[in-house]
Amino acid sequence: MPKIEGTERIDPYRIRVPKGFVQGMRTEGIIYVDETLEQELEIDSVRQVANVATLPGIVGNSLAMPDIHTGYGFPIGGVAAFDVEEGVISPGGVGYDINCGVRLLKSNLTKEEVEPKIRELVDLLYTHIPSGVGSTGKIKLTPKDSEEVVRKGAIWAIQMGYGEAEDLQPMESNGCLDGADPELISKKAYERGRDQLGTLGSGNHFLEVQYVDEIYEPDIAEKMGLFKGQITVMIHSGSRGFGHQICDDYIKVMIQAAKKYGIELPDKELACAPFKSKEGQQYFSAMKGAANYAWANRQCLTHWTREVFLMLFKLSPRDLGMKVVFDVAHNIAKEEIHLINGKKQRLIVHRKGATRAFPKGHPELPDFYRNIGQPVIIPGDMGRVSFVLVGEEKAMKETFGSTCHGAGRLLSRHQAIRQAKGRSIKQEMADRGIIVRAAGRETLAEEMPEAYKDVSNVVDVVHNAGIARKVVRLRPLGVIKG
Amino acid sequence: MSYKVIDVAGDVGVRAEGATREECFINAALALYSLITNLDQVEETESEEIEISEDNHEDLLVSFLNELIFIFDTYGFVGSRIELYLKNKTLKAKIYGEKFNPEKHERRLLVKAATYHNLVLKKDNNLWIAEIIFDI
Repeated sequence: MPKIEGTERIDPYRIRVPKGFVQGMRTEGIIYVDETLEQELEIDSVRQVANVATLPGIVGNSLAMPDIHTGYGFPIGGVAAFDVEEGVISPGGVGYDINCGVRLLKSNLTKEEVEPKIRELVDLLYTHIPSGVGSTGKIKLTPKDSEEVVRKGAIWAIQMGYGEAEDLQPMESNGCLDGADPELISKKAYERGRDQLGTLGSGNHFLEVQYVDEIYEPDIAEKMGLFKGQITVMIHSGSRGFGHQICDDYIKVMIQAAKKYGIELPDKELACAPFKSKEGQQYFSAMKGAANYAWANRQCLTHWTREVFLMLFKLSPRDLGMKVVFDVAHNIAKEEIHLINGKKQRLIVHRKGATRAFPKGHPELPDFYRNIGQPVIIPGDMGRVSFVLVGEEKAMKETFGSTCHGAGRLLSRHQAIRQAKGRSIKQEMADRGIIVRAAGRETLAEEMPEAYKDVSNVVDVVHNAGIARKVVRLRPLGVIKG
Repeated sequence: MSYKVIDVAGDVGVRAEGATREECFINAALALYSLITNLDQVEETESEEIEISEDNHEDLLVSFLNELIFIFDTYGFVGSRIELYLKNKTLKAKIYGEKFNPEKHERRLLVKAATYHNLVLKKDNNLWIAEIIFDI
């Protein structure tokens, strides 16, 4: 019996949302869930998968990954591709936090070397990296700087001294999408983003010190430069107020554009315009600017993380060896060529709470990863584990080279706070060997492990479905949150 | 204070009530500010004025709240009392409050935006009711 009436199981890892689930579907929806995760499906999120299938120019299916949950317009965990000529682009398919994403850093340090100093390390990271409500960064952008950030993304940060040129290659799109026009971004967005570059944000954003706990694919792990017991750092952050403002600005534009182009919207948050229209192209360009801001942001956060490690462990940069393993976006729209029915087709692929996962051989990969595939960084909750996966060929066939992005929430904030009453989450984490510091008063309760699905289940589904493969598992030692 | 927080899976929502549409808007705004910090800690040392027009009242509510989010995110301004006037589809508001100070004001949620998701703005008997979901 399906959990959600009207859906059908295709195989152990996928269910179908047939045409007719909502009116006007042009294609079917496919959700990657096993029977266990199917029990956690929300009817609203399934309806959202179906709603996306009504949009014009959709190619293939309206997809969702196993970390699916209800979002705005598109579900979180949603993947949908549209023909560039016939199809639409939608800010709802990207999210308010444009290029919310994850970066993984590796180092030459081991768990044995870092664990004795973990409290001090977390304290230093917490004081050096601004996070939380009302936080502003050490960088104040002039209007000219802002334009450069929009155009150059992580490249700008490196030119300003935040990192090395070699940081760029192991990044999705080399940390900068071409074609971002600063003129298409509102004054309000610039004002909002002026003081926020180099800040972590809040909510589920974090900076985590981890160690490599288990290796599933030794050869691939070696090519990524990962070894057991190695200290890694994972940074989860996005485009901050800059991106949120751009999304809000363009949802308004798109609501009008949808009317203008006669696109029927089952949901205002699905507001969209034809990709080739003026509005579509303008949003795409502005979105790229926001994505670039997020990459610049993660680059700055990387720089300060390195500084803290260098200071505390009294090492030279060469001895510390803190390098980027990879940096992925999980809220973004990308123009990509995919093989559809044997023919190359140019598509605009929306990934909202979903990560690109290109397989080995893909031309967009840096040469040092071309023989293994693209690393995919999957953060778990702060008490459990995170993973590094690698993209598989099956993803290109089934999901436009996409996979999941994280754990997905299970409890609402209110439920989490209620369940945390009388408990010290900070102490519980410490008892597990994890030192946490958070800026917000309720952050730890809201973000406690039980509030999230088990990311191991999510990752097992994509692994078993063959769209990504587990490479290593990471365990937290210390976390800072906003 | 006629508002409360609604439980929503991944994000947060508020339900605001008012005898008039204006009062409902005001309470929605105070509800938003209560997500960010503890309003009892906010003094009225400064003010901000805004004026917005939209095609309909629902869009006006969302735009109004997003403007407050913008003002907070950009200038750190958080309000504890609001005067608001609605004429046709134009809103004028004066918000009394102060600059957010993490040493003084409790840090609650970082609100990214007010969304149109499951938006409610209606009159039920003699009560105006609004429900808005925020992306956090």
